[in-house]
Order: sequence, then C-alpha cells, then structure tokens
Amino acid sequence: MLTVSSLTRAELGERLARPGLRLQTGSFVTCIGSAIPAVADGIALLYAEYPLQDAGGFADFHVSLQGSGGLRRWVRPQVRFDYDGTRPFEPLPVAQAFALFEWSMNYCVSTRVHGYLLLHAAVVERDGVAAILPAPPGSGKSTLCAALVTRGWRLLSDELTMVRLDTGEIQPLPRPVSLKNASIELMRAFAPQAVFSRPVNATAKGTVAHMKAPTGSVRRAQERARPAWIVFPRYVAGAAPHLAPMAPARAFMQVAENAFNYSLLAAAGFKALTRLVDASTCYQFTYSMLDDAIDVFDRLTPP
Amino acid sequence: MASEIDPAACQAPRRVWGVMAGQLLRSKTWDGAEHLLYNDLSGDTHLLGADALDLLRLLQAADRDEASLAAALTAAADDGDGDGDTLAPAAVATILADLARLSLVERRAC
Amino acid sequence: MIATPLLVQLLRQPGQLAGASLADWELMLRQAALANLTPALYYLLDERGLLDCVPAPARAHLEWARAAFERHAQGVRFEVLKICQALASTGVPVVLLKGAAYAMAQLPAAAGRLFTDVDVLVPKARLAVVEGALILAGWACGHHDAYDQRYYREWMHELPPMEHFHRRSLIDVHHGLLPQTASARPDPATLLAGARPIGGHAALHMLAPADMVLHSAVHLFYDGELEHGLRDLLDLHRLLADFGRAPSFWQELPIRACQLALARPLFYALRYATSVLHTPIPAGVSLAVDAGRPNCVLLAVMDQLFGRALLPAHASCADWLTGTARFLLYVRANWLRMPPLMLARHLFRKAFMSPKA
Repeated sequence: MLTVSSLTRAELGERLARPGLRLQTGSFVTCIGSAIPAVADGIALLYAEYPLQDAGGFADFHVSLQGSGGLRRWVRPQVRFDYDGTRPFEPLPVAQAFALFEWSMNYCVSTRVHGYLLLHAAVVERDGVAAILPAPPGSGKSTLCAALVTRGWRLLSDELTMVRLDTGEIQPLPRPVSLKNASIELMRAFAPQAVFSRPVNATAKGTVAHMKAPTGSVRRAQERARPAWIVFPRYVAGAAPHLAPMAPARAFMQVAENAFNYSLLAAAGFKALTRLVDASTCYQFTYSMLDDAIDVFDRLTPP
Repeated sequence: MASEIDPAACQAPRRVWGVMAGQLLRSKTWDGAEHLLYNDLSGDTHLLGADALDLLRLLQAADRDEASLAAALTAAADDGDGDGDTLAPAAVATILADLARLSLVERRAC
Repeated sequence: MIATPLLVQLLRQPGQLAGASLADWELMLRQAALANLTPALYYLLDERGLLDCVPAPARAHLEWARAAFERHAQGVRFEVLKICQALASTGVPVVLLKGAAYAMAQLPAAAGRLFTDVDVLVPKARLAVVEGALILAGWACGHHDAYDQRYYREWMHELPPMEHFHRRSLIDVHHGLLPQTASARPDPATLLAGARPIGGHAALHMLAPADMVLHSAVHLFYDGELEHGLRDLLDLHRLLADFGRAPSFWQELPIRACQLALARPLFYALRYATSVLHTPIPAGVSLAVDAGRPNCVLLAVMDQLFGRALLPAHASCADWLTGTARFLLYVRANWLRMPPLMLARHLFRKAFMSPKA
C-alpha cells in the first residue's frame, strides 16, 4: 500500500486540489480536499508514513479546507472547513489552516462514529495494555502524552480514545499530537529527535504546533490494546509526582463527563463505561516534571 | 359467592408506589458503597445512595406502600448489623419523591 | 432535469442497490447524510432483510446512525411523557403531530425519522391554559423579539417555540395547520374532532390517517424549509403505503382534502411521491385528486422547482438552477402564509434585521 511519502510534494498538492487525497488514519479513510499550501505542507511533514487508499475504496469522511471567496481572498485571507456541504465552524485566518484541518479530523470522528465509546482523552500503550488520560482543560494531557510516546509508549491517540462496544478494547487512531504555548518548546527540548510543525500564533488556544506520531505507532495502527489504567493528569508547577487511587464511581462520572457520546450511546454507553472502569485501576495524578511522570507511568502494574 | 363490601376500605383508595414502566434498573455498585443507575426513560445516569437503590429493588419486585417499604428497609438493616437502625417513614417519603422526580418510580392507586 | 440520484434510486428499490459497489455506497451515504436520512436507510434495509448485502464499511455508518436514532427515539418518548404530565391538570387532550405522532404510534414512517421539535395541536381557546401549564413545568418561550412574538401570536398558527430550561428540548404548540393569515386554511376544529387515541397511551392522540397525510402534504408543500424535503416526501411515501392497505382510505382521502380545502397540496403530494419515489397509488385515485390540479403553466413551473428542491441537498444532486429553485419556493411558502405587504416587510426584516442565530 502506498503512503503519503510516495508522492512528491507537487503530486500531493495536485491530488489535494482535485480529486482529493484519500488518507487512512487508524481504521478510517478521509477524502481531503484543499488548495491551501499550508495544509499540503502539514500533511507532507506529519502524515508521511500514513497509507493512501487505493482507487475504488470507501472514504468514511469528506472534508474540504478552502479559502473564503470574495474580498477575503486578498484581505486577511481565511480558511473554511466544509464537511461535505455543511460548515460547522466559523472561518479562521488562513495561517491556521493546518490546525483547522486537525480539528476537523477530530470533528468527523467525534460526531459520527457511534460504534465506539468516544472519550476526549489521550491513550498510550505498553506491553498490550493501555493507559487512558482524560482531558479536562489545563490537565497537560497532550504534553504528557507526547512525552510518553517519545519514551517507549505507543501512541494510540492524543485526543480521541475509541473504546470498542463489543470487546472493550481500545482501537488506535494515531495522529499528530497537538501542543500549545510553552509545551512546544518543552517538548522540543525533551525529544529533540521528534518532528514538529512550525508553530502558529494567535489561535483561540494561543500558539499551536503538532508533533508527528512515532513511526511505530503509525505502523501498528491496527493493533488494539486492553485498557488497564485511567489516569486523570493534573499539571501543577513545582509539584512532586503524586499518584492517588480514585474511587471507581467517581472515575466513572468524570470519564462520562469527558466523553463525546456517552449519553448518546444510552444503555450501551453505560455498559461500556462500566466495563472500562471495571477493567482499569483509576488514579488522579499530579506532577510537574515530565521525567517524574514517565517514571511513575513506567512503574504502573496492570490490574 | 359475593364478598361483603367493607365500607372502611372504600373511604380512602390505597396508594402504592411502583417502578415506572420501561425502567430496567441497570445498576453497578463498587465497594458496596457507590451505586450508579442507568435511567431507561430519561437516558440519565444517577449516583444513588444505598437506601434509594434498596428501595428501587423492593419496588421492582412488587408495588408497595410507604409503610411497607419503611418496614422492609428496616428489617434489611437489622439483618445486616443488628444495631436496630430504623428508617423513618418521612425519610422514605423523601427518597420516593426524589425518585419520582427522576421518573424512576410513580404513585399508583390500587 | 437532473439524473436520479443514487439515494433516490435506493429509496425506490432497496433490493436493487443494497449490494452496490463501495464507490456507490460512499455517494449514497453522503447524499443521505445531507438529507438526514441515514438512520431511515438502516431501517429500510433492515425491514427487507438487506443489511447483510451492504458492504461492511458502509454498513458501519448505518449502524452508527441507528445508535444515534435510538437515543433520539428515547428522548422523544421521554419528552412526550413530560408533556403529558405537564398538561394532565388542564384536561386538554394532547394531540401529537408529525414525527412525535409517528413515533408514539410506532408507525412505519417513524423508523429512522429524525426531528427536533415535538408538535402538538390544541384548541385555540385553550392556548393560554396550555402555555401556562407548560411554563409551570419548566418550558419558556425562547428569546424572541417583539416582532417575532407578534408574528407567531397574531399571524401564525402556533405559539413561538418553547424550550425546556433544563432539558433544552423544544415544543411547538399549534392551534391550526396553517397560519391565520393564509388565504385558505383547514378548520382546526374539524381536525381535532377526527383525532383518535394512540394505542397503548391513554392520554395521547393523533390525527386521523387521512388528516395525517394531508398535514404532511401541507407541511411539505406550504412550508419553505425544504432542507427536509426528501425526508418529508419519504414520510408521505410511508404513510400512504401503511394507511393505503385499507381500501376505504383511498376513497376518503380526496373527499377529506376537499373538506379541508387542501386539494392542492394533496395533488402535489401524490404527484411528487409517484414521480420521485414511485409511490404506488391505486388506479383512479390520481383522477380523484385532479380537483387540486393547478393550471398547466403553474404546474410546469412547480415541476421544475420541486423536481430540484425535493432532492438531497448534496452537490451531486444539484444543477445551476437548484439554488434558485429553493429560494423561489421559500418565497412562495411565505406568500401562501401571509398577505403581500406583510410578506415584503417580513422578508426584509428576516434578511436584514434578525440577529444571527
């Protein structure tokens, strides 16, 4: 199967412009259309090893990132996300086109894929078992996730944990890890060998950049993992690392609050989350130094 | 053979409580203390205390009135630790009102 | 005219297209998503035992849509329960309309049908009592300005939509099927008199079968909101297939249409249901509804407009005239609902003065 890197940058740009690039991420194929160079650049850099779908296949989602028309083509140009005829977001400055692309990829899955319990959480794996990191704001979840996957953990997902409703296993969806503000420089120093996109300023979240998913994580995107730990991280400047066990019912309610479709899945959601919490040891984790955090995670034992 | 009509029984219709139709009362308990319940009608998930869950299980088995519920819960508590805690009917009424507001139980004339 | 979209072909003949190629399924699902018909597709195929013919990646999308629909259906049942509890003390019978009626009566038209508001019909004289009871139970009129309030209360056939403060669910309280400002409107009392109980639910009622079809026709052909055009046409298709099993239904339908001054929407309903979805109509019925036929010029124009606007709102189902067609039908719908001067003011206001939602 061909990957994005098999295309030259010119070919990539042409295919994105028309008829669309059919990119496989995890178990989904997205047909991506865009004439904006920043989108092609971002895909070339961060999705080099991802498979391209053969002709005659089936694309799950159709996204298009195009410039706004009219005067906006020249005055403070914008980028718009078109989801096959609907426009769920307001346009953004064109410099944020790749960030918008990443958000749109999350949007597609989180609003439609109701064959899984979808959590707003990072999930990483080691030795076949997975640690889920639910993500309330300010948790530092993405930074911690980025650090773990540069120290031997496999990236299953940075934003969207997919829990299978039939078996309870975690289905990987490895994509670039999004980093904000100070985390960007922190991760560059922590993992100098990793690949980062150029930071973009002045988004609603501040400065945003993306770290490429490790090659091994992308290659093993079809290997599921069994959940073992649910860890609610909380970054507190200067704090010593502290892992505190969490009562299962409380963990249940907090995971439900961090889910995209817990309520939508009704009784099946209740059953899936019950099974997930039953299978996992739940913790609250406070930390400040990434090395401390890695050390704690490395010493976790499966239940 | 016609049975005699008891005038006293005609005066006040007996009111009982029952689980609302459609509620399967799927629940999960961890460590014997925290109880989660899925509400099949509203789609909500509730965190309930032990008394509320016990009350629901009693009503799931059969419709009952408040006095009988209070007695049954008290008997169950006595079997547990033998310290003779009783559940006041007023406390039962409060729990029932809460559960009714959540569309888990309803009052019925029998 | 535009070639028949794959989705429409599938709706006409599910058996022929269930095993279509991946590429065809990809397009059908895209069309269905924009028409809000993905869950309806699931049930259509399931009823006929055809789900196993659908290629696995496409079938997954249908299953996801089914999960979302089942939650929606649960929400509708709960909302109707709460509405009945709220209105119990008023003694006003709860007559459900459209989607909520189909859902509670478990009609075939309900399978996979998504909608946002619960619609009820009450006598105009009891409107204040009903509104009061709903407010007591936690519903409130949305943030409508004075113009919108007047639009609804004086001119339209319904209260402004009310939203429940906690559940954020919406209820539309109607006292007629068409606005008071419309030149021809069916008498609401006649409709209410024909309402019948919904089996299994003591407090719920729905319109008589012929009235339900006519209401669906009015809603589709008099309402400018045609993004749900194909969904509403599918409603008609399924209602007619279901009720049409009783032979007396086909005799009653045209008669009732004339009684309610709804011969024109019935004419359009049968014409476009047969042309778009190939709905089977018994011989002779088309003749019977000819009372509602417009003059041939108007009919030719309507064919061009509805022939486009009833298709899925996907780029693959449009030509250069589709946007214009939708706009003209929007204007037409408002024209039918209010006198010309009021219409001009209303459109001006909507275009330039309403706050963006």
